[in-house]
Amino acid sequence: MLTIAPMIQINGLVKNYGLNPVLRGVNLYVRQGEFITLVGPNGTGKSTLLRIVATLLTKTAGEVKIGGWPLPEHAEKVRRYIGLVSHQPLLYGDLTAAENLRFFARLYRLDNREERVMAALKTVGLLARQRDPVSTFSRGMVQRLTIARATLHEPDVLLLDEPYTGLDQDAARLLDDLLRKEQENGRTIFMITHDLVHGLNLCDRALILNRGKIVADLPSSQIAPHDFLDLYAEHTGRHGG
Amino acid sequence: MELTRLNRNIRILNWVTAVALVIALGMIFFYAPVERTMGNVQRIFYFHVASAWVGAVAFFVALAAGLLYLRKPDRKWDTVAVASVEIGLVFLTMATVAGSVWGKPAWNTWWEWSPRLTLITIAWLTYAAYFMLRGAIEDEEKRARFAAVYVIVAFVTIISTYISIRILRDIHPVIFGGTLESAQGAEQGLQEFAPGLESTRMVITLNASVAAFSLLYVAWLANRIRLQRLIDQTNALKIRLVARLQGGNA
Amino acid sequence: MTSFNLNNSPFWAAVWAIVWKDLQIEKQTRQTISVMSMFSLATVIMFNFALEANLAAARQVATGLLWSTILLAGTLGLNRSLAIERENQTMEAVLMAPIQRGAIYLGKVIGITLFTLILELILIFVFIIFFDKPLWRPPVLLVLFLGTVGYIAAGVIVTSMTIQTRTREVLLPVLLLPLSLPLVLPAAMAVAAYMFPQTPPFAEVQSPISIVIIYDLLMLSAGFLTYHYVVES
Repeated sequence: MLTIAPMIQINGLVKNYGLNPVLRGVNLYVRQGEFITLVGPNGTGKSTLLRIVATLLTKTAGEVKIGGWPLPEHAEKVRRYIGLVSHQPLLYGDLTAAENLRFFARLYRLDNREERVMAALKTVGLLARQRDPVSTFSRGMVQRLTIARATLHEPDVLLLDEPYTGLDQDAARLLDDLLRKEQENGRTIFMITHDLVHGLNLCDRALILNRGKIVADLPSSQIAPHDFLDLYAEHTGRHGG
Repeated sequence: MELTRLNRNIRILNWVTAVALVIALGMIFFYAPVERTMGNVQRIFYFHVASAWVGAVAFFVALAAGLLYLRKPDRKWDTVAVASVEIGLVFLTMATVAGSVWGKPAWNTWWEWSPRLTLITIAWLTYAAYFMLRGAIEDEEKRARFAAVYVIVAFVTIISTYISIRILRDIHPVIFGGTLESAQGAEQGLQEFAPGLESTRMVITLNASVAAFSLLYVAWLANRIRLQRLIDQTNALKIRLVARLQGGNA
Repeated sequence: MTSFNLNNSPFWAAVWAIVWKDLQIEKQTRQTISVMSMFSLATVIMFNFALEANLAAARQVATGLLWSTILLAGTLGLNRSLAIERENQTMEAVLMAPIQRGAIYLGKVIGITLFTLILELILIFVFIIFFDKPLWRPPVLLVLFLGTVGYIAAGVIVTSMTIQTRTREVLLPVLLLPLSLPLVLPAAMAVAAYMFPQTPPFAEVQSPISIVIIYDLLMLSAGFLTYHYVVES
């Protein structure tokens, strides 16, 4: 387990795609066990920021440290401690639920693989469907399995990119419960969402990203939802909701 | 915009190359001896070998540029690689055409599907495909990165081709490499010269044309790199212009 | 660092996890091998048609036919196997695992090589029946194996690139066929030497076989070392 504080430390992060700047100097500190929600208009670099933290993209300039390890130099060490829920499920449609988890358990070289796979399936309520191919699952079931996959190796940092997209109400409620449980387990959670109010309700701290910079960073306990919406409109010139 | 004018060094290089080429041409036609069996046709030999040599050097430079790019992604290495592959392809084409013209009187056929000639055609296709790959990728950084990987993989096939040429039996003689093969090549009767002065003249002419063609390669590369920089500058200006216009409207 | 202890090193554990996963998917869908075999059979029949059922002519070019069929069917297997990793962006999940990129490369090469070898077994059977060629000889099988390894080693690195481009499947043969011919040419020469009743002297096949081995080693190293530049961004 990583214990060095802050868990995520970003200084002056810059990312360019060719000549286009996407992130223009992002600073961010996230303590261990914090739940961060990141909002912002499309194309402002939210996913880019998350993917850099996830070791999937390399920065152009600046400093990124996870648990004290600088990226991208120590990406291979950091990878053991992070999990990602992307808008894509990142699961093999042709494999069954259990086979998918078994594969990732092997990649992470986990002990007691079979027990952990079964426990994870049970947590997300898919034990009964373990022998069915993922391609036969509903969107909600796929997303639950995605969470199971992302947390199978018990990462210290859980990264979520629009995890609520396409979920019905029941599935969304289940995801809420799962995320709360993950937070209780001491995980640091960093989530991107479109749903400002919902994101604010879940998190400890809400960030607004606009044009490649963090323009607002406030504890969720100090702001009411409608004030947050006003603040969002003020900073981005758009109405969230 | 100091680049819009020809750089002084490039200008000097261009002139030196032009003079060297004229000298090499003069030597090929007036200094080199007439070969006994082939007659004047043999003079193609100097173009053929020099072009093949430059082609090989160009692909090696592209490999080095690809490796440097992967070590540190700097656009200039990508530019060097593109320029070098382009030029290498031109020289390889020249070598093939010259070889074919020579092959007609030597083997009584324009083309022979021997392993060596087949492999050279394949090498040509391999490097032509480099541009197909580049054309299919829009993102500049990714294009440069993939092109660098491809140029390394392509060079593996060049190494295999080189070894094949050296150890598989073939109609085509080996010119570069060990003295043994060269001696065998000479024995096969393609370069029959009287010993002494005549063969010395031939060697001198060959070296002069290889040197002149190498200079041509360097000058061409320098000009091509300059051209690419101009293209890049234009694109950067375009993006800035568009950004400014959009900013003005908002 | 990479350890070549097969039993318990993280590197090989990752390689086998990827191979196991690809085999598992194939077991569920049976798509790759069936597509490759159907395509190959159609190709062989088409060639026969082109040769106007002139068995003598077909026999003469049988080894060339065999290699052409393997190369073309191979591009299907490569595209299919690497498209699987793109379908649900699963490659991202694999990349986020604490494993070396070279292990992913090697896992994919081993998996697709296995599929292609199964295809070749079918093809050898077909060719023996259709063309009456002694393809069962152990040296022939060895050359087929070595040629396949080199071809797939080049194929995985090239397909991993082409699958990320605009033209995708179309681009692969354009890049891969020229790249693989310096391997296939000597390999076909070696196989052709064994198509006569008498065994050829070793000196005759030594050169082509060593070229195939050199190509394999160089291509595997190049792919192994450059793979992370292809899959990461």
